[in-house]
Amino acid sequence: MNTTALPGTPGRLAAQSRWAVETHGLTKRFGTNIPVNGVELLVPRGSAFGYLGPNGAGKTTLIRVLLGLTHADAGTMSLLGYPVPRHRDAALARIGAIVDEPRFHRHLTGRQNLRLLADAREPAARDRIGPALERVGLADRADDRVSEYSMGMRQRLGVAACLLGDPQLLLLDEPMNGLDPAGMAEMRDMILSMVAEGRTVVLSSHLLDEVERTCDAVAIVDRGSIIHQGPISELLAGAPLALDVECSEPVRARALLAGTTLGARIEAVPSPLGLEITLPAGTGRHVIAEINRVLVEGGMSVYRLQPVQTSLESWFLQVTSRPGDPE
Amino acid sequence: MTTAPASGTPAPDQALQTELAGHPPDRRGSPIPTAGMIGTRVMELRKRRGLMIALIVMNIGFPAVFLLIRLLAHAFAPYANPPAGGYQIFVPLAAGFLPTFGFIVAATVGCTAGSRDLTEGMFRHLVVTGRSRLALYLARIPAGLAIVVPLIAIGYTILCVVCVFAAPTFIDDSNVNIPPGLSRAGFENWAGDRAEPVICLLPYNGHIPGNIACPGPPPWSKSVVTPGQPAPAKLEALAVRIASQDYHGYTQILRYPPTSLMIKAGLWLELEAAVGFTLGLGLASLMGQRTVPVILLIVFQIILTPILSGISIPHLQDLQRSLVGAAMAQLRPSGLALAATLPGVTGGVGRPGAAQSLLSESATEAVCVIIAWLAGWTILGAWRMMTRDA
Repeated sequence: MNTTALPGTPGRLAAQSRWAVETHGLTKRFGTNIPVNGVELLVPRGSAFGYLGPNGAGKTTLIRVLLGLTHADAGTMSLLGYPVPRHRDAALARIGAIVDEPRFHRHLTGRQNLRLLADAREPAARDRIGPALERVGLADRADDRVSEYSMGMRQRLGVAACLLGDPQLLLLDEPMNGLDPAGMAEMRDMILSMVAEGRTVVLSSHLLDEVERTCDAVAIVDRGSIIHQGPISELLAGAPLALDVECSEPVRARALLAGTTLGARIEAVPSPLGLEITLPAGTGRHVIAEINRVLVEGGMSVYRLQPVQTSLESWFLQVTSRPGDPE
Repeated sequence: MTTAPASGTPAPDQALQTELAGHPPDRRGSPIPTAGMIGTRVMELRKRRGLMIALIVMNIGFPAVFLLIRLLAHAFAPYANPPAGGYQIFVPLAAGFLPTFGFIVAATVGCTAGSRDLTEGMFRHLVVTGRSRLALYLARIPAGLAIVVPLIAIGYTILCVVCVFAAPTFIDDSNVNIPPGLSRAGFENWAGDRAEPVICLLPYNGHIPGNIACPGPPPWSKSVVTPGQPAPAKLEALAVRIASQDYHGYTQILRYPPTSLMIKAGLWLELEAAVGFTLGLGLASLMGQRTVPVILLIVFQIILTPILSGISIPHLQDLQRSLVGAAMAQLRPSGLALAATLPGVTGGVGRPGAAQSLLSESATEAVCVIIAWLAGWTILGAWRMMTRDA
């Protein structure tokens, strides 16, 4: 392994770093498979950060590498400013994480499982068991065996386990798995409240809608590499704009637009009510007005002209590969 | 393409920065487990109901039931059944049954402690706490021993109590029940009054006339001293000669185990259990599972070790001596070595080779072998735990 820690004393670096997670060239190989390939990730402190990618993109592997559950093959990384792996114990003292499906000793109660974990942390962690169970809504079932828990309850218990260390950084890998809609809403609120408390939450997920509702910024990973990273609003601002046009003669309207200077910049396809036009990223509102003018001057009745905001999901599908795509 | 987040992202929390910079040094990187870690690890093992029931049944239930049956049998039919306790019961149980089952119990607990965090998904949570993996491993040793040692001690204590308090009131010498503490003259007088059983049953290295008819089973109760009966003077003289010759053997026979032997045997049993636990913990940590290591250890210790200790392999004797089971047999208290000579006992349950070992090694060598095994498996298990992907 040729991973290197960032230089400097951990306490000073922890104070200086504005990033909760910082990786440079982080790489993890399994034979010829490279699930983490030169990842450059910067997660700002105090944010809700989405880590998005299709199945098999390497999301969980990156979290496992960050947490020291498996070693990296190359690159540097720091958590909360602590260079890891050199100061991983100091970093992990301030981190809570759910990785994959949260599993616990099934013969123990939820509270007993948390005791087991709390005793591996600092002494104060024991005092946080009750509040953590309250916070995730498991206080009433805390003394039931985990074997009697549903998947959603185990997810909540996993979040409670994260809270034992009063973490400044939470790495949550698919925390919505197994939750019903109400549970997902509660989880979303919980994440937002934790961010409001000044904690950083990294949410690894393929549930784009949830990420869009919860996170300020995202990184999109595909085939082990980050292909886009930044605030969601900025990423979507760089996405193509869709325009729904409802008009009297869609076929003629399409031909009309193709014959103008706009034709080279837009892509128009027929839709049930008219045309669906895709405009390049960064297109100004004047282009929409120009389209309207061309259609009206061409003798067509324009009933509706509506820009459609690109969702994170549709943008994600545009930029990432899917199974079967050529390499 | 990789773009850094824009400047619009939230600024670092100044309070958090200050708090982190002034964070007191965290000792969770230390390899020494805390008392809390050990305590909750004990709880985790103790709460495994099925495992605990099986362990209690094997280590306490079986000997307790066996002794209880003997107690009841003797109470209801003292004529046919000897007393439940005594030295002759203590030896086979302490040298054969308890170490065998104690080893299985300890190995099972060790394999459970060494593998269940991994197979049940808790290992990952524990690693994420930042606690040293070595400390996580080492916490299992005192925790497991805190389960195993009392279990062994309870089973053994029951055995000792029964063997002492339900010991026969007489010396059973080849089925002749003799009062304890007789002088040579007293023993000879006593024998002269019971010529027939003495002549027929006590060992004698001399000529016994062929016209003496010995009956079958002894006609006296197994719970009392062999009663006296008149006999011709010639037979009385022969019985006295036999008693005189057997007096040394008579004085060597113990009614119940001496305190020193019980203490030594208890410590030896606990050592056997500690070895079983440590081997189980290391092997299960290495393999990441429980069932196969348990089977491997039982096969190795209960089957292979006795066989390898009992045969002579000229060029591999050092290798044979390096077996932990052979080393443990060398440390067995000498009072338990009589097991092989007792009726119905061939070196103890499941370990005939231990009593019939052809190997000899000094106590120091045996201790070194045992320490090497304990250290070796602890290092292997800890190494695997520290390097394993979680």
